[in-house]
Amino acid sequence: MKIESGLKNRHLVKRIVLPAMILMLIFTLILATAVGAVNIPFGETVKIILKNFHIPINADFAEGNESIIFYIRFPRVIVAMLVGAGLAVSGVVMQGMFRNPMADPGILGVSSGAGLGAVTAIALGLTARSLFFLPFFASAGSLLASFIIFILSSKKGKVTSLTLILSGLAVSMFISAITSMLLTSIHGDQVKEFLFWTTGGLSARRWEHAAIAAVPIVTCTIILIAFARDLNILMLGEEEAQSVGLNTSATRKLLLFLTSITTAAAICVSGSISFVGLIVPHIMRLIVGPDHRTLIPVSAIAGALFVVACDMVSRIIFAPREIGVGIVTSLIGAPYFLFLLYRARKEGGAI
Amino acid sequence: MAENDFVLVIEDLSFYIEDNCILKGINLKIKKGEFVGLIGPNGAGKTTLLKCINGIYKGTGNVNINGKDLKKLSSKKVAREVSLMHQNTIISFPFPCLDVVLSGRYPHLKRLQGESQEDYRIARKYMDYTDTLKFEARPITELSGGERQRVYFAKVLTQETELVLLDEPTASLDIAHEKEIFRYSCELSQSGKTVIAAVHDLKIASRYCTRLVLMKDGCIIADGSVEEVLTSENITRAYGVDALVYRNKISGQLDFYIRERKDETEEKHIHIIGGGGSASGIMRQLYEQGFKVSTGVLVHGDSDLQCAEVFGIEHISCEPFSDISDDSFRRNVEYIKKADLTVLCDMPFGMQNLRNLEAARFAKKLVILEDTPLESRDFTGGEAIKIYAELKEKAVITTTARLHEVI
Repeated sequence: MKIESGLKNRHLVKRIVLPAMILMLIFTLILATAVGAVNIPFGETVKIILKNFHIPINADFAEGNESIIFYIRFPRVIVAMLVGAGLAVSGVVMQGMFRNPMADPGILGVSSGAGLGAVTAIALGLTARSLFFLPFFASAGSLLASFIIFILSSKKGKVTSLTLILSGLAVSMFISAITSMLLTSIHGDQVKEFLFWTTGGLSARRWEHAAIAAVPIVTCTIILIAFARDLNILMLGEEEAQSVGLNTSATRKLLLFLTSITTAAAICVSGSISFVGLIVPHIMRLIVGPDHRTLIPVSAIAGALFVVACDMVSRIIFAPREIGVGIVTSLIGAPYFLFLLYRARKEGGAI
Repeated sequence: MAENDFVLVIEDLSFYIEDNCILKGINLKIKKGEFVGLIGPNGAGKTTLLKCINGIYKGTGNVNINGKDLKKLSSKKVAREVSLMHQNTIISFPFPCLDVVLSGRYPHLKRLQGESQEDYRIARKYMDYTDTLKFEARPITELSGGERQRVYFAKVLTQETELVLLDEPTASLDIAHEKEIFRYSCELSQSGKTVIAAVHDLKIASRYCTRLVLMKDGCIIADGSVEEVLTSENITRAYGVDALVYRNKISGQLDFYIRERKDETEEKHIHIIGGGGSASGIMRQLYEQGFKVSTGVLVHGDSDLQCAEVFGIEHISCEPFSDISDDSFRRNVEYIKKADLTVLCDMPFGMQNLRNLEAARFAKKLVILEDTPLESRDFTGGEAIKIYAELKEKAVITTTARLHEVI
């Protein structure tokens, strides 16, 4: 879809696209909660959810279903939603900030740092003690990695895109090497646990996970939306932005900080889920245009939708067994990415 | 003049990148309503100076805009005082043009404050002015170079600053679009805004700017009116070429001729007898080859005389529509006698310049250029033909195009 008229488009997004997507998201949330090893009727699912939010309705359903819905499936779906939104928002901001459509949260070293954190928690045997150690270590690792990359690539308080991307690459590889080193020295069970984490699993996610992820993701997303105009200005080019009075280096630092937190919060509860941060912003940019004031909210919803749907697929495709949601997102994301590359090559330009 | 009449006061501004000095102690004061052309060779520091004025680069020394110290202003406040149109801006995301122009309102808006109807009105007003309103919904990436440049110009105007900086605003534009941008800038300065533009094209600068600042190697080497700055001497000094500045009689504007003269190795003195435009090309040719050239007698207003003046060729001139005076004739003969070679151009003869033909008799060596038969150029009733025939006996006859063969 080509952006013919950007301005009419903005109203179109506000009046039609955004409400339609919210409705779609709600529908998908309920659907994803309803289906699974035990299929529960759609209406009953809605009733159970509403009842547990203390909305009085004439509740009439089987007792067993209530705990499946509200304590097993629904929190998982909510975590999927938060993770998807967080990753997509980070992706949008990274791509805009680096003026590079190929950028994704991975270049900040967040994923590799989280991996190292996770493997450390597993190796120390902490994961058996409490549910919270893994997310805690993962987010600590990811923030540490982004901090190191940031320090390495900043010179006199200024950060240039290219050095950031390159040092991000180098540091990520270095961290991955340490992760692999640790992996070779731990038990087979622990390796399996780590492997499970890396493929991005959402199984057994509870309300606690949702709470861990919700606060940073929601907060950062709101702040990022507040900075949407600055991001737009940044996309006009470094000097163009400076000449209309944007403090580019301070803005970039802040945005980097917020995206690393958002990504870390998402990854720490889900493991690494790839391609969401890359392809969701891409598709949404094609639909609503490059204006971040609409692109960020729309991408958040689309990211949520994408991950919730992929998680649903991961649960039902080999039911009763399930596969990592990261596998599904990659299976869909990688071919789409290649399609984008192919199209760009055919049109004779870079993406 | 009081300090506060100046929009921009720069005192002792220096700027270094690593250890390279890009600007050396710049002092500049600019009044409200001026349209200043910043000229100078590549690498003179024009762009750097502009970026120092709008705070992107931070140099040592003082930059005051409207009496406010640039160092003490936040970047948003600076952007309310001064706007800069960059050289070769490329936006690679398909923002609608109106959004690009609206970005000029950024310094006027608080965070979370949406653009008001007023902001839209301002943006549309300037888009209308630069004839880009029709592109408002089109993605900037789909516009041609000239269209894009006009959109950026609208953006700079939308910023509504007292001081507008333009960095080679027409670098990639054709002459029609170039004219447009300079016309807008001119009107802008006439409306009371102050414009400083780094300009590559000296002719354009001389035509539109009210004041020129000539830079070289990070210093200002000349500053003043167009006539004061664009002298042959200044241009030669700044650009390191042997330049001639003259007023083009047809366009009424300053024009430039870059001499490619060999160092005066040729000792030979050549005198040219011409007129009516017949000698201009020959003068240039001989001049560039390094000969000592003289010419006469030429009539005031003749393009040949203008040409002689541009090249600084010694010449004898007289009033139009009158016969060559005895004095002029005598001086002409003196030159001819001294010259190693005299060239008689393919020129028309009338009673007034017949004495030039007579003077040719005194030539040591005479070359006659005959592209067209004399009969068609004789307006003396046969008198010229008589003298001409006599001259031909001891002269070398050739054509203008083959002159080089006989010298």
